[in-house]
Amino acid sequence: MILGQLADSLLSWLFVLVGFTGPLVIVFGLIGLTGFVEITRFESGTSFYYRLNPVTKIVLGLVVTTISALSIWWIGALLTVLLALSFLTLNNGRRKFVFALLLTTSTVVATIQGFAPYTAALTLEEAMKVKVFHTLWVWPGYFSYMGFQHTLTLESVIYSLQISMRFTSVTLASLILVLTTTPSGIIRALSKLGVPAAVTFSLVVAMRSVPRIFEAIDASIKAQLVRGLGSRAHPSIRPIYYLEALISSIVPVLVFLLRGAKNTAISADTRAFRAYPKRTYAKPLTYSKADRVTLLLVATALVVDVYAAMHGYGRGIPYVG
Amino acid sequence: MVVEQDRWPLRLEPAVVVKGLMHRYPGRAEPALVVDELVIGEGEFVLVTGKSGSGKSTLVSCINGVIPHLFPGDANLDPSQHSGEVYIHGLAVSKTPLHVLSTVVGTLLQDPETQVLNYDVEEEIAFGPENLCLPSDEVNRRVSEAIDSVGIRHLLGRETYTLSGGELQRVAAAAVLAMTPRVLIFDEPTSNVDPEGSAALLDLIRSLKGKSVIIVEHKVERVLPFVDRVILMDGGRIIADIPASELLNKVDLFSRYGVEIPESYEYAKSLGLNTTDTQRIASEIKRRGVSVRVKQRRMAPLKVLEAEVRVFSGERKLVDARISLGSGEILGVMGRNGAGKSTMLKALAGVLDRKLRSDVRLSVCGVDLSGGSVGERGKYIAYVPQNFDLTLVSKTVMDELTYSPRKRGVRDWRNRVGELIRILSLEEYSSSDPLSLSFGQRRRVALGSALAADVKVALLDEPTSGQDFAHREALGHELSRLAALGYSFVVVTHDSRFVWRHCDRLVVLSQGRVALDGAPESVFESSEEYGIPPPTEFHLYRRLNER
Repeated sequence: MILGQLADSLLSWLFVLVGFTGPLVIVFGLIGLTGFVEITRFESGTSFYYRLNPVTKIVLGLVVTTISALSIWWIGALLTVLLALSFLTLNNGRRKFVFALLLTTSTVVATIQGFAPYTAALTLEEAMKVKVFHTLWVWPGYFSYMGFQHTLTLESVIYSLQISMRFTSVTLASLILVLTTTPSGIIRALSKLGVPAAVTFSLVVAMRSVPRIFEAIDASIKAQLVRGLGSRAHPSIRPIYYLEALISSIVPVLVFLLRGAKNTAISADTRAFRAYPKRTYAKPLTYSKADRVTLLLVATALVVDVYAAMHGYGRGIPYVG
Repeated sequence: MVVEQDRWPLRLEPAVVVKGLMHRYPGRAEPALVVDELVIGEGEFVLVTGKSGSGKSTLVSCINGVIPHLFPGDANLDPSQHSGEVYIHGLAVSKTPLHVLSTVVGTLLQDPETQVLNYDVEEEIAFGPENLCLPSDEVNRRVSEAIDSVGIRHLLGRETYTLSGGELQRVAAAAVLAMTPRVLIFDEPTSNVDPEGSAALLDLIRSLKGKSVIIVEHKVERVLPFVDRVILMDGGRIIADIPASELLNKVDLFSRYGVEIPESYEYAKSLGLNTTDTQRIASEIKRRGVSVRVKQRRMAPLKVLEAEVRVFSGERKLVDARISLGSGEILGVMGRNGAGKSTMLKALAGVLDRKLRSDVRLSVCGVDLSGGSVGERGKYIAYVPQNFDLTLVSKTVMDELTYSPRKRGVRDWRNRVGELIRILSLEEYSSSDPLSLSFGQRRRVALGSALAADVKVALLDEPTSGQDFAHREALGHELSRLAALGYSFVVVTHDSRFVWRHCDRLVVLSQGRVALDGAPESVFESSEEYGIPPPTEFHLYRRLNER
């Protein structure tokens, strides 16, 4: 009896631990900070995506977001598969495809960890159209939080998996934009879409800062490891120390970035940034045939999806309305 | 204040006029800058020098309009914090919008990494003209002219993040020139750049005929040949304002205020010579039998570190070097950007980028660490990255210094930490937040923290970068004190003068291989071939040893 309770407790903690550290292990252990930099930074290329106008890619991202939000989960899953496969067409595509798969996996694991044990039975009944649940695990009472008794059912796992498909396609579409468009291309596109220059500039500086942020975090984490963090721990629990180092690095990295931000502000404002509400561009945006075809296809997909949803086909939230 | 303007009455049209200027930073009792009057003529080249915190950057920020338009901001302008006026070609800086000022005065900052905003070279240079809403033809014309005047046409199409520090700084300079300003400010433009990059940038500045140029620089020697005038600042005030040709007569004054003056200038002054020619100075020293200071290099037969390092990026070999370090030795490592210095250091510490492959045979204090993990190597080797602030993760200095002993479970660390606190003069800051300390104090905390857990070998990646002479000297003396206690250091640096003054041995890397290895006196004989100009002290030393 006591041994059984002890085993329950241990396994419960193990599941929580795996749920929390799993996505981190994927991101930091398998993709790594340098890999993360690779999939968040533009690299020049010549394939289809690189030739598209940034406005087209932003529209593509918005349409993917809308369709994923409106439609039944498998449409999101289909989009995820198509977008992930399209990473193979990018410069150094195979490597980026692997990173995209890993990132998608970590998103799925994190979503299941975040949703599955906490989804109310009523929601599951409505969403999955079932009355009987197949319980996989029940956490001890001391895990309950704000009235939720941690219970994992097969239906809650499936439901969470379906929910994750709304995020994964959007993440991949956003990455395609970032990976295949220069920051200034994004500025020009957003300006064309009417977004104020101050907002677009903030985005561009953020995009340019992403590699610096990861490099700074990487340097800070490694400095802690060199100084002995986790050196006495068993290798199997090193990810926890990695997480500790990551959290400890936040303040020094923020201070480091803020010190640099002052220079960035001076550099922009002493070159007439925000002189006028609009800017001109040395290289104006042009639309090619590929842009027109792509825009036509995504517009058609959007219209079909909205029409289908309005008529009850493939709705994202079938139990409402 | 030493003002000798009457010696060369200003015949030029005034480009910059400063009148009754005072600026006080929020929360500070004392003003950071007080300048009664300063006039800079059109086409004049002016060097502004002084130690860190002397008010140089505040002065140029008032000239380019960053103060008061950005800091504290027009809406927050308080007369008790900012008074007086600066005029640029007749425009009152405090009353002229920053974007208008940006067409008259351009500014190149110290750190190229943070001032370059755009993805590729062309976009970066076009950024300013585009902000001015110029037609695309005019933007392209200006970009092309700026590229030619800086000589970076070969960088067209390159991504800015792939450029070296020197290349990036020249791109930043072209971006400033594309605004076609009549006044140019260079705020310590070479501090973070390797010697070759610095030389290229200084050549560019020298070529800017017709523009008024204000250069803020610690290393007087490098810009003295082409500036008309030198302004010395301290405590927010102008201490001296003299023609460049008069500097030799004032080297005592400049040295006293922490400005980096070559030793040969000091000898010339003491010998009553009005020349910077090392041959003439050396002849006079020999003739008069004056004794010359030469650093005593430590001989370190006992090796504490021996390593063979190979690092690959795909099939390309980035580093293929064999290196050793003696007990109590300070070893300088120099080389061009991309020579493999930092990569070698990271490979030794076990903190290489994951996408690089390495084969490291490493023995420290007789222990084979070839297959050791980061943590295992860290038991024997301390590593301090260039951005040492990133290592400061604790809430107090004491916590930071005891971080490593605690994590490693080192017993009896109190004596060692106490000794480091004393050597590094950190006694009064032990309960302070490390990130709130001054630059020099933060560097000392990072060094102390790296050494605290019974480590005798430390790898320091560019600890001299971006620092003024006083800070570099302080670092050199700290390392020497620690070396005398048996600590050994590998110091990657671009500063040949630091090596000359403080290192026992110098290794020059070229394309990842050890090209030169020996005492600085012998290595500097041929280091120029590898992009490392020797310091003036070496030239004097060589002249003195000529028969």
